[in-house]
Amino acid sequence: MAYASIFRLLAGSALALGAATGGAHAQASYAIASIADFTGPYADIMKDLAGSRRATVDWWNEEVGKGLGVKVTIKDYDGRYDAAQIASLWPGIKAELNPVVILGTGGPDVAALQGRLPGEKVPMIMATAGYGFAWKPDPWIFNPRPTYGHEAGAFYEWYRAQRNIQGPLKVAVISSEASPAYVDIHKGVEKYAKDHPTKAELVEIVYTDVQPTDLTTQVSRLVRKGAQVINIQTNTAAVVATKRALQALGKTDIPIMMSSHNGLLTSGKATGGLKELEGDYEVYGMAVPTDEKTGPHDFQQKLVSKYKAQIGWTVATVMGLNQTLVALRAIEAAAKKTGADKVTGEAVRAAILSQPIATEQTFGILPNLAYTNEAPFPTSGLTVNIATVKNGKYTIVADKAPVPKIDKW
Amino acid sequence: MIDFLNYLINGALVGLLYALIAMGFVVIYRASKVFNIAQGELVVFGGFMVWWMIVQAGLPMAVGIPLAFVAAIAFGLAIEKIFFSRLVGESVFSMVMVTIGLLILIRGLVLVLFGPAVRPFPIIFPLKPIILGDILIPRSLLFGGLITIATGLGLSWFFNATRTGLRMTAVAEDHQVALSLGISVKRSIAFAWALGATLSTLGAIIFLSGKSLNFLASDIGLAALPVALLAGFESIAGVLLAGLIVGIVQGLVTAYVDPAVGGAVGSVFPFLIMLAILFIRPTGMFGWKTIERV
Repeated sequence: MAYASIFRLLAGSALALGAATGGAHAQASYAIASIADFTGPYADIMKDLAGSRRATVDWWNEEVGKGLGVKVTIKDYDGRYDAAQIASLWPGIKAELNPVVILGTGGPDVAALQGRLPGEKVPMIMATAGYGFAWKPDPWIFNPRPTYGHEAGAFYEWYRAQRNIQGPLKVAVISSEASPAYVDIHKGVEKYAKDHPTKAELVEIVYTDVQPTDLTTQVSRLVRKGAQVINIQTNTAAVVATKRALQALGKTDIPIMMSSHNGLLTSGKATGGLKELEGDYEVYGMAVPTDEKTGPHDFQQKLVSKYKAQIGWTVATVMGLNQTLVALRAIEAAAKKTGADKVTGEAVRAAILSQPIATEQTFGILPNLAYTNEAPFPTSGLTVNIATVKNGKYTIVADKAPVPKIDKW
Repeated sequence: MIDFLNYLINGALVGLLYALIAMGFVVIYRASKVFNIAQGELVVFGGFMVWWMIVQAGLPMAVGIPLAFVAAIAFGLAIEKIFFSRLVGESVFSMVMVTIGLLILIRGLVLVLFGPAVRPFPIIFPLKPIILGDILIPRSLLFGGLITIATGLGLSWFFNATRTGLRMTAVAEDHQVALSLGISVKRSIAFAWALGATLSTLGAIIFLSGKSLNFLASDIGLAALPVALLAGFESIAGVLLAGLIVGIVQGLVTAYVDPAVGGAVGSVFPFLIMLAILFIRPTGMFGWKTIERV
């Protein structure tokens, strides 16, 4: 009797052990490190950005990962949009999580990690446009969008054609030296104007504080110099101060061109309503979150209804979705190529470089992406979307406007 | 020439705004010998009080602004009661360390109470500038400049010619001596913090009128620091002059040097002035010279 009990116990233990190891083989687990900014300058958009990252991982685990035998976990870290903070966090992230891919927030992540990631063999996917200072071959950091200069150039060409402007479009830039990314943005615009003198003329770059005091004098000078578009791809505060200056000067015919992180919805809220930005534009190489029924909007709705995501339909959401989808599609391609239990950071990077991501795979959030070893972003075939405020309504005015060629700076 | 005049006037008015914020440093320092590193955070708190009263609560400006001042004064008094009333007689170093903690605390408090979103600040002063020929004068800065001059002269008179002001000066000299003379150190310091919070709220109204507000607006405190150092931490009237100097120099450098070198020299220049002052005359232009018996 005693022997029978011992036998049953041993048999049960063996079965349990077998089930446990068998389960581990059935679903390999990999981690994504999600660098966020909960207490820095972009804290206001983090609820949607970080929320959409988590929801996309939930969706992928349920609808893709299960079939592949792969489960992905994600953990947030507060980088505070500060290169020093991110550099100090990274060794802990690596030790704790050993991620196969990192999701970055902005320029400070790139500045802090671009020298380390090739050695650590972990790729990073950004949500933002690319940076000139990171435009190098053999990338470990990838942007699903071209540089801000490229995106601005695409807008200038579209706007010039729309307005039937014969000479070069006179562009003024309001920028700041508060962040390496801001400097890179205006350098990209300078380079575009230099490479395309018949299409754009840079009348002046105005340097301001992150929270400008008053820009009436500076904007008045830009008006006198004949600026036809004011480019602000830095932050919301600069958009608000410039808008107030234009209103003070009674100028309604000079549009402001914004980017994704300081776009119409965010800047509209800060100015006192979307109608304040009537006739201004935003441009970026990903879906525009208007109310229209589109593939990207349907995907966000699915995340909300089926995966209980607490996210709005905002530009920050689109940013979170775009980078997480690229990361997950790369993990998916790596798992298919190397086997579900052999995915490493190196394998994910190899998949990004060798396996194009079709626009359908991102539900139309991004155009077709084909990375090469030459740059951190696809150097051909990219497009941008352009939105404006028309009769008080947030409206897409250009879908898939081509991105011009700009040489490295 | 017109451009030069525009930059000169605009620079002078921005400098007066810096001077108003710098007065917050000076008032607290003159009454308690505390260099309040969290001055910029007081500006943000005052700004959020104005935003909350007018935008969130929907109160008319005539009601909302005075209530915002009351809330800011209560906040200043609370800071004094919770932190500084316990530090009477302690070293200056301890007090400065507390202000560093205060900076982090207020920033956290603002994030918890109001969140990180960028908020539209109400338009307190008309947006349309005054136009004199080709010269543009932003109304918010012009009215702000006039308010700053009146406030500076008023406070200067208060500290130099009233009993309360002179008592506060005595407190700044030495807490123990002030106590032995029958002066209430706690009351003086409380009054200084209430005054500091009031000036910060006034600064927020002028700085942010019609613009946007979030916790990063505290950077104005850093921009005002060179003004306070140039003037010397004890002179309120000196702050007005120092503000004009820093603002004009910054305005002209921004207009003429920045485009030439392709960089924001203008925002660095005030800090170069600050470093130069610390090397040449650490007490500032109008700071008190102290004679120590050895």
